[in-house]
Amino acid sequence: MAEKIAAKGPSDELRFDVIVYLIAAVIIIIVLYPLLFVVAASFSDPARVLNGEVWLLPKGVTLEAYNNILHNDKIWIGYRNSILYTVVGTLINIVMTLLAAYPLSRPDLPGRKGLMLIITLTMFFSGGLIPSYLLVKGLGMVDTMWALIIPGAISTYNLIVMRTYFQSSIPWELQEAAHMDGCSNWRLLLSIILPLSKPILAVMVLFYAVGHWNAFFNALIYIRSEELYPLQLVLREILMISQSAGEEGGNVGLEDKILLSESIKYAVIIVSSLPVLIMYPFVQRHFVKGVMIGSIKG
Amino acid sequence: MKNAKIHETVVVPQFRSERGNRLLRQIAKRYDLYLMLLVPIVWYLLFHYGPLYGLQIAFKNFNPGKGILGSSWVGFEHFQRFFDSYYFGRLLWNTLSINLLSLLLAFPIPIMLALLINEIRSKSYSKLLQNITYIPHFISVVVIVGILNVMLSANGPINMLIQGLGGSSVRFMESAGWFKTIFIGSNIWQNMGWQSIIYIAGLSGINPQLYEAAKMDGASRLRRIWHVSLPGIVPVIVILLILDIGQFMNIGFEKILLMQNNLNLEASDVISTFVYTTGILKGEYSYTAAIGLFNSLINLTLLLLVNRFARKTSETSLW
Amino acid sequence: MYKHRNWGKAAISTMLVAALVLGGCGAGGDNKKSAAGGGSEVVVSKEGFPIVQEPITLKMFTRIAPVNGPFKDMPVFQDYEKMSNVKVEFIEAPTDGFQEKKNLLFASNELPDVMFRSGITPLEAVRYGAGGQLIPLEDMIEEYAPNFNKLMEQYPEIRAAITTPEGHIYSLPGIVTLGSARTDKKWINKAWLEKLNLKEPETLDELYDVLVAFRDGDPNGNGQKDELPLTARTGLPIVVAMSGSYGLDLQFGYNINIVDDKVEIWMGNEKNKELLMYLNKLYKEKLLDPEIFSQTEAQFLAKQGTGNTGMFFDQTNNNFLPIADQYVGIAPPEGPYGDRLQSQGSPVPRDPGAFAITSVNKYPEVSLRWIDYFYTDEGSTLLRFGREGEHYEIVDGIPHYKPEFSTAETQPKLTPYAGGGAPHIISEYVASYINPPQVQEAQKKLDPYMPEVRYAAPMFDEETAQKVNMLRNDIDKYYEEQSTKFIAGALSFDKWDEFQATLKKMNLEELQQIYQEAYDKMEK
Repeated sequence: MAEKIAAKGPSDELRFDVIVYLIAAVIIIIVLYPLLFVVAASFSDPARVLNGEVWLLPKGVTLEAYNNILHNDKIWIGYRNSILYTVVGTLINIVMTLLAAYPLSRPDLPGRKGLMLIITLTMFFSGGLIPSYLLVKGLGMVDTMWALIIPGAISTYNLIVMRTYFQSSIPWELQEAAHMDGCSNWRLLLSIILPLSKPILAVMVLFYAVGHWNAFFNALIYIRSEELYPLQLVLREILMISQSAGEEGGNVGLEDKILLSESIKYAVIIVSSLPVLIMYPFVQRHFVKGVMIGSIKG
Repeated sequence: MKNAKIHETVVVPQFRSERGNRLLRQIAKRYDLYLMLLVPIVWYLLFHYGPLYGLQIAFKNFNPGKGILGSSWVGFEHFQRFFDSYYFGRLLWNTLSINLLSLLLAFPIPIMLALLINEIRSKSYSKLLQNITYIPHFISVVVIVGILNVMLSANGPINMLIQGLGGSSVRFMESAGWFKTIFIGSNIWQNMGWQSIIYIAGLSGINPQLYEAAKMDGASRLRRIWHVSLPGIVPVIVILLILDIGQFMNIGFEKILLMQNNLNLEASDVISTFVYTTGILKGEYSYTAAIGLFNSLINLTLLLLVNRFARKTSETSLW
Repeated sequence: MYKHRNWGKAAISTMLVAALVLGGCGAGGDNKKSAAGGGSEVVVSKEGFPIVQEPITLKMFTRIAPVNGPFKDMPVFQDYEKMSNVKVEFIEAPTDGFQEKKNLLFASNELPDVMFRSGITPLEAVRYGAGGQLIPLEDMIEEYAPNFNKLMEQYPEIRAAITTPEGHIYSLPGIVTLGSARTDKKWINKAWLEKLNLKEPETLDELYDVLVAFRDGDPNGNGQKDELPLTARTGLPIVVAMSGSYGLDLQFGYNINIVDDKVEIWMGNEKNKELLMYLNKLYKEKLLDPEIFSQTEAQFLAKQGTGNTGMFFDQTNNNFLPIADQYVGIAPPEGPYGDRLQSQGSPVPRDPGAFAITSVNKYPEVSLRWIDYFYTDEGSTLLRFGREGEHYEIVDGIPHYKPEFSTAETQPKLTPYAGGGAPHIISEYVASYINPPQVQEAQKKLDPYMPEVRYAAPMFDEETAQKVNMLRNDIDKYYEEQSTKFIAGALSFDKWDEFQATLKKMNLEELQQIYQEAYDKMEK
């Protein structure tokens, strides 16, 4: 038997390795190509992009598009808003999720199962837009940043992930021992649980932050003032919305803007994705640990 | 535990049974945990359960002037209208088929990717593959659809390639036939790496001795994947499957909306976008509330079915 | 609703009392005291300015186009506030997402005092009017909107277009008495015609030949086949622009012909099939812009400005001013059955639902008087041109923008007419910019082929309006989708029978009957 493996094993193994590496290479190309294309297009002369001349490398290199973005107030206001919403929103998300996930992770909490059921059920039902809008309006949050933050303060999915992390990777004995020492639950959470939870916190920050950064639908509904628009709404306008059909005089001067938006499309894609991509390496090493432990036992 | 003691003496009534006493004592002892839960639970009641009363407009003729409670009841009229509507069949079919196809195609691919990554021996190469496949996950839907428009436009690289190979250019984004392929394909492109993380993590938790044993038995790499790796992550697969099905009817609303146009509507008209365009843009709130409710009901039914099935067959379930 | 009737009574009786009390000392004898909903009292002068002695504030919900700046910075609102003593706080919502926000405003009963430039559809007017969120204006118009009233007498179609069967008026439209502001001209590339030695096409066949020549004859002379023969706004406006050549009119703002007092919805008509086949032919042969169903408005406008487009449809020459010489307007081409109609066009009440007063408004009379000014040439000039000397000058008796305010950047910041749909009158007097000689010429080519009467979309009672809405939601969606597919070749004309059958199944005949009844009522 051992001989058999020795005889056919290595070449077989090798062939297998080659195939694996090849498939991996193909995947890398498929994933990267569109991104590289956009990068190349953003540095190219828009006319040559339109003519389909750009494949992988920029043609007629120009920084015009980025220069235009630099001078586009709307984009920068959107940028500022998005950063604000992301930072404040994520902060609230983390605190709220933590406050819910930790107690619910405690096996000694009576009523835990019932509470979990109440919480999980909300993943599958909602009262619809109108009542939600009425609620947000009743709380005086329409046309403020809070409408984008408070109604989404907890993602149930994330709550489940975090709770599972607490259950499975912080030894219960440790918590009991702390209790014996007369440590209150608040102290326990702040000085023992939190320091042990960096991976999951990193993952949560990433989840929530990406969500805030990329969201546009709630803003479309709740935000009226253009100066409160998040970046994604500005992008939507630039990337795909056809302006409302031309009423007389309505389009005076639109033409310039259109041409402009044609040429800055690609650069806008890059600029808008940059913050998330920059943030990514910092939290990246926590991913596997955090997500894994959070999910294994559902 | 000073506080707990106080509560004990104050709260526990004499006539409680021994069990009730213990429960109350337990509760009292952990009152600060409930304190932590207070804000989140209030939030859940307010933002998730509060608006549920609004579901009644599905059975009413909602008149904004009179408010939700003051509007008149009409029973199942709106449901009837939906079931009789020309678009009912198409909406249901598109919603189900897009989601079913996603489940069939997009669900297994991250698993395969994880298995693939697990087989790569060079650590740096596997890290590279992982990190690159994660990137698209962080791009917003708006931008993704923007990229799709660009890549698949008449003068985009894909059509240039087709023309280079002697074909004639295809209007991908304006074709019903291509819609589902593009939608699901781009979903896979965007999310396979990210979704594979969980499986990779699961795979790394498998006892290496199992592989050794399989190797000793003469199992090929493929057989080892099949008999060791895959079974090792089945519980994760099941849980994720259930969670996915829980969102079955809601997948990709924003993205579909952004991709929709008259030429692909045949394939892209789904319940959630129909609710949006008819309800919010045309103000038919009651009608669309009824449709939304119908959607949720299908969703919940599916979820309960799958959860029960999973519990019976693999002893893994959501609750 | 009866709440408002009560309110009306209360207002009238209070006014009577006030008239008795103040009769002797009222300055012009015209000042009357009126009480409204909340019971607050203001003195509304029925003539002249200011409208009120004590300043009041009105909250107005409005749409702001991407090109506009904040309304409060516009000279018209600054000056008019001083003139009228009415301070306006605008709640501005951008065009993108406006429809969502407008509907949510009503759905959540979060009402402003006034809906200004909000594009309230006839259905919405009836729905929210009957629901009590918009108040009926008919009893106040004569007294507090004399200028608008005058227009209604002059153009009876205005009253017909905004009055519900019960006799209520819930919103005021933007009025366009200038004919050329109600049509899209058929602009054709004169330079190309001359270069290729072609004359202006008179029939559809000639048009086809011209477009082919545009495509193949290299009229721009760069040696490449990069000319774009024909384009139009995204979607089905191309059908609207061409339907007259098949005798398909657009009455009631819908796909409707009226022949011998008979209303016909022509969507399933054989002539429509031929029209779509013609367009399909153009599309297939790349004579019609391949991007016609996907381009953004911006792209369309850009194509006007390049000079590399053979033909397109637009109201003015504003979007291609720098190369305007290159284009000329033509008459509608004659179709195979001798039809020659300019079916595309808007009625005099062109922008429906431009202005409405909500139930929370404490000063409906003031609000009405406030808007009435913009239905005069003087008020419209203020709205469209700003201040004389600063923003405009009178040339040949009518206002013209100073050069620095006719640019794309400055003009939309100056006036809320840019972006469309503002409640005011567009007459010849205020049209120097949108009706230059070139546009007038183009309009003259269309004039002989205009339908005799252009009926605006009728108002239905609430129940009928709901019914129409239900029917049209299905039918319009189906029609638009299928027409698009027919033109793009995604659906073969073998399926025409199926198309007709489905329209029938969607109760097209019932819809036709409803419009017939509306017509009958109107003609009586």
